[in-house]
Amino acid sequence: MRCRDCSFLPGRRRTEMGAVAYRAGLEALRAGTPAEALAPLTATLDDPVHGEWARLNLGLALQALGRLAEAEGHLAMAMAALPDLAEPPFRLGTIAGLRGDPASAMALFRAALARDPAHIPAHAALAALTEEAGDRAAARALLETAHRLDASEPELILALARLALTEGNADAAREGAAQVLAMRPAHAAAARLFAEASLALGGMTAALAEVSACAEADPFAAGWALAGAWLREAAEGPAAALADLRTAQLLAPEVPEILAALGHALAGAERTAEAEATLRAAIAARPGDLDLRNRLATVLWKANRLSAMLDLLEAAIRDFGPHPTLLQNRALALNAIGEQEAALATAEAALAGGGVPALVNRIAVLPYHPEAGTAAGLRTAAEAIGQAMPLQAPLVVRRRLGEGRLRVGLLSGGLGQHPVGWLTLAGLEALPEVEFELFAYALKPRADPLAARFRARCARWREVGAMEDAAIAGLIAEDGIDILIEMGGYGEGGRPFVLQYRPAPVQLKWVGAQFSTLGLAGCDGILTDRWETPLGAEPHYTERLLRLPDGYVCYLPPPYAPPVTPLPALAADGVTFGCFNNLAKVTAPVLAAWARILAALPTARLMLRTHALGEATTRARVGERLARAGLPLGRVALEGGLPHRELLAAYGDIDIALDPFPYAGGLTVCEALWMGVPVLALAGDSFCGRHALSHLSNVGLADWVAGTADEYVTQAIARACDLDGLAALRQGLRGRVAASPLVDAPRFARALGGVLRQAWATAAR
Amino acid sequence: MTMLAMPDESLGVRLHAGARQLLQDQRPAEALPMLDRLARLPGLATAAALLRAEALAGLERLAEAEAAADLALAEDPEWSAARQLRARIRLARGAAKAAIDDAAAAVMATPWDPGAKALLGTALLEERLFDEAIWFLGEAMQAEPSHSGFRRRLGQAFMLAGRHAAAAEQFTQLLAAKPGEPGLAALQAQNALLSGDAEGAVAMARAGLGSGIAEASLHSVLAHALVAAGRMGEAAPHFAAAARLSPGNGYLAHLAAAATGEGTERATESYVAALFDGYAPRFEASLLSLGYRVPGLIRRMVERHCPAVAAGQERLGPVLDLGCGTGLVGVALADYLGGPLTGIDLSRGMLELAAAKQLYAGLHECEIGAFLQQGVPPQALIVAADVFIYFGRLEEVLGRCRAALAPDGMLIFSLERSEPYGPPWRLGPSGRYAHAPDYLARCLSEAGLVPVEQRMEDLRLETDHAVPGLLVLARPAPH
Repeated sequence: MRCRDCSFLPGRRRTEMGAVAYRAGLEALRAGTPAEALAPLTATLDDPVHGEWARLNLGLALQALGRLAEAEGHLAMAMAALPDLAEPPFRLGTIAGLRGDPASAMALFRAALARDPAHIPAHAALAALTEEAGDRAAARALLETAHRLDASEPELILALARLALTEGNADAAREGAAQVLAMRPAHAAAARLFAEASLALGGMTAALAEVSACAEADPFAAGWALAGAWLREAAEGPAAALADLRTAQLLAPEVPEILAALGHALAGAERTAEAEATLRAAIAARPGDLDLRNRLATVLWKANRLSAMLDLLEAAIRDFGPHPTLLQNRALALNAIGEQEAALATAEAALAGGGVPALVNRIAVLPYHPEAGTAAGLRTAAEAIGQAMPLQAPLVVRRRLGEGRLRVGLLSGGLGQHPVGWLTLAGLEALPEVEFELFAYALKPRADPLAARFRARCARWREVGAMEDAAIAGLIAEDGIDILIEMGGYGEGGRPFVLQYRPAPVQLKWVGAQFSTLGLAGCDGILTDRWETPLGAEPHYTERLLRLPDGYVCYLPPPYAPPVTPLPALAADGVTFGCFNNLAKVTAPVLAAWARILAALPTARLMLRTHALGEATTRARVGERLARAGLPLGRVALEGGLPHRELLAAYGDIDIALDPFPYAGGLTVCEALWMGVPVLALAGDSFCGRHALSHLSNVGLADWVAGTADEYVTQAIARACDLDGLAALRQGLRGRVAASPLVDAPRFARALGGVLRQAWATAAR
Repeated sequence: MTMLAMPDESLGVRLHAGARQLLQDQRPAEALPMLDRLARLPGLATAAALLRAEALAGLERLAEAEAAADLALAEDPEWSAARQLRARIRLARGAAKAAIDDAAAAVMATPWDPGAKALLGTALLEERLFDEAIWFLGEAMQAEPSHSGFRRRLGQAFMLAGRHAAAAEQFTQLLAAKPGEPGLAALQAQNALLSGDAEGAVAMARAGLGSGIAEASLHSVLAHALVAAGRMGEAAPHFAAAARLSPGNGYLAHLAAAATGEGTERATESYVAALFDGYAPRFEASLLSLGYRVPGLIRRMVERHCPAVAAGQERLGPVLDLGCGTGLVGVALADYLGGPLTGIDLSRGMLELAAAKQLYAGLHECEIGAFLQQGVPPQALIVAADVFIYFGRLEEVLGRCRAALAPDGMLIFSLERSEPYGPPWRLGPSGRYAHAPDYLARCLSEAGLVPVEQRMEDLRLETDHAVPGLLVLARPAPH
């Protein structure tokens, strides 16, 4: 098979004019440095002799660099100008394939074969798409034709072997894969196929033993390490594959597919820094790999590198077109950087062809939107998800009636140092064990002190993050859970669709991206309070509203929180406002209100502090946005995130916390209050728009909650002018919070226990 | 012939550097396949062996780790790093004497290395050679006073040597510098508990929990301290928490089940072994201070049923001492023995103390059922003193004892007694089982044994009450 990335030479007519530059371009392509080919080839485009060939090779160079959109134009012109040549339509076909347009790709591959019936890559590519379209027989015929043309071509042997596996002939598949590995010991796809076929033939243990024996006999062939990696990942997840992948990469450092596999596994194992470096190297070696781009985007997301993530996604959208996964990731990044309008527009653009993930993506950004993020709008969006993910056949195997100890399941990725942990642990610890037996279904392994306290309280601990929804539900049903509490929602890592299998007789929503109704028929109730959902809020929820008598959460102040400092304004020129919420919550109306406040108070300052602001480009981008909104940048500090203890200590510089809207602060409000900083908030109508109202009411500071933006501005100015009042409030605030229901775990546990019993009794009736 | 892939010239460098980096990053599992390849490259087997030993030790694959360290040392026995590594591996395997050899060799090879001295001190501590341990740990700490690990080991050495005030001083200093250091709060509380200050230990452990530390060891020491303070009811949730934080720890699981009233069919082997290993050096003193009467009661029972033995005219044939512990029964029967006395116990520490008495012909670290199942010659006497209190179900073990008895042999055992006609057995908060007399009668009969004598006895004193028990002598039923 001809190498797909090598240069393409004109077979006839050469002139001296332009020949030097042209040849320099070809040399660069042959040497594997396509970037260096661009200038000489571009310079040759108008050459009467070499022009069209230069255009074709320029297309190849651009394609090799992943600049697909640019490559496409040149290749299309070359296709017209060189009517006998198969390469231009073949290349255009691969670009169409990368963009998820199989119909165009197949047409182009056929065009290539019409020009050159012996073009083997076109046969193979067309066969792959034909098989994807469900016509295995036609695919086999194409491959066999090509195989007759070149019986020693490993790609064809591999394609036939892969087809054999889908046809159920694992023996033939394994043999074919082994044949390819004998010729190309580091062939990643052949190694994977060998592992798959071996697994199909003998199961996991036998397959691992077989691959180990091969590696023992042939230790320096990367393929066996790769096959082992694939099996271990299938059995135990990405972290388990790293050992073999690292070895494979050292054995064959020149193979881009191995680098790509290592990058994916590092990302899956959350080794962020190493994953980023490896993925960037893999993308450079495989610019046409869309999955690598999306994977790097998620790595940057986890590292709070939002501007880098946006740059990457925008380049990928230019190259690959508006692919739904790229759009969804872009929507998340835009939202997280505080550009809510663009985020929602992007999320909506991803709905076409995006399926349920796109609907979930939309509701993940919707509550932040200043106009659309209303309780009613959220219910509509949630119900669209509920309709797309209907109830499955219920799994509950028994319905225990009557009294006795209740077995309560917690389904969450946040059972540790995470907002879910800080807002639930104290209450759960105080639930009497003789009445409530807790089972944890942890979606993310955590090993911090809070996670240990969850473990200490839970009678059973199950790590279920790697399992499918149906399997998790099966386990919950098998465990005989009476009440299942979902604590992840439509947030990152949440698995709300487990509820749709109905594994427990009573299923409730609590904390963990609790910004609205879930809209799922499998969710019976939502734990709330009278401030989050006052009487009359019912129409916005598909669940029953189970109101706790005080707040809907119980805050656990960190034992390492530093003492409250004196009011900083007493030693400064003016007050310092602060907002330590993430940028997704900082909307245009919030900025407008803050601009008015700072305009009215010429010595006042504002400090924003969040992880995303640790990235210089994001800081600059946010700074521009603030300036456009009229904020005086000279009085605004943009600061990055800090370790938790230092973050709490940073409240020592803040006089008044300004809460954002329409998505209010939750844990952030509790932390500010614990650090002696009062929070000025504006209540909305959505669940997430009322978190601050709930917490402030719970500590007797309901008068710090405004009903309108004007009131918010007026109150901020008035509060800032009353330094004595602020100082007195600050001095007593921690004591006040400590004595309030917000942190009174026994009181909260009694209330929670009562509500759970009531939900159980209602279901029993 | 299949062609094998050949290594390129720089592969050795890449593999060595890659594996070392991963070991530095504490990712031993990821280094192993690299080291497999490195060992296959010419001239690099020794270098690979040391790294491999380190990786395997990190993965607690200790036997393989020791073999790899042996390989690394074969070429250069004075290699201090390899000696230290093997000492750590041997310590983890419970081979403290061999670890002392390695650590001492490392100290001699690199006398300027405080790490080697600390390691030697640690190994000496395991062998309960307190003065020597304290000396070497003190040396290490003097050389590097800021090394919290050295200071911590020194504190532990003081604690185990019974010098609790000196231990407390070390722990207090460490806690002041690093309040959240894992395990430290638990050590401090344990030191208070061992010094006899149970209430102080409770207060320290509670303060640790209050500061957000959630560790199995802290919950465990708190639970033990509460038990010692007579506050059993408060201990249960902490035994449960400790067991949950330490899944796979049979000792804690058993205590948690006992304290929360959730019975299992018998105590796990690891519970019994851990209980008595931790107990061994103090076992006799502790039992005697508890008024432990069973060995004496057994002796008198033998005297009643074998008057010729009591009169010195005959001697006992082969005797099997199940759960022999430190050999108290052997001591009680010493002058009556004619045949071999064989002791079985799960605890290595106990067996070593029994061996020191020079009374036993054979001592086996083994589970009782497994030992009996492998077949033993007919025994004149089988003794199970305070052993069946770690069993719930008795059917199987009694059947196996019956099979091991000579036709006129005797089985003597003690049990804690529960109320008749209730549940056949119950697991008490002390972690021991009590059995109902009617259940016992049924089990004996099913096993083909006839009770010849059954006495109600107080087995020992606990805190403030006597533990009611049964002492039973049974013989094989006539056919």
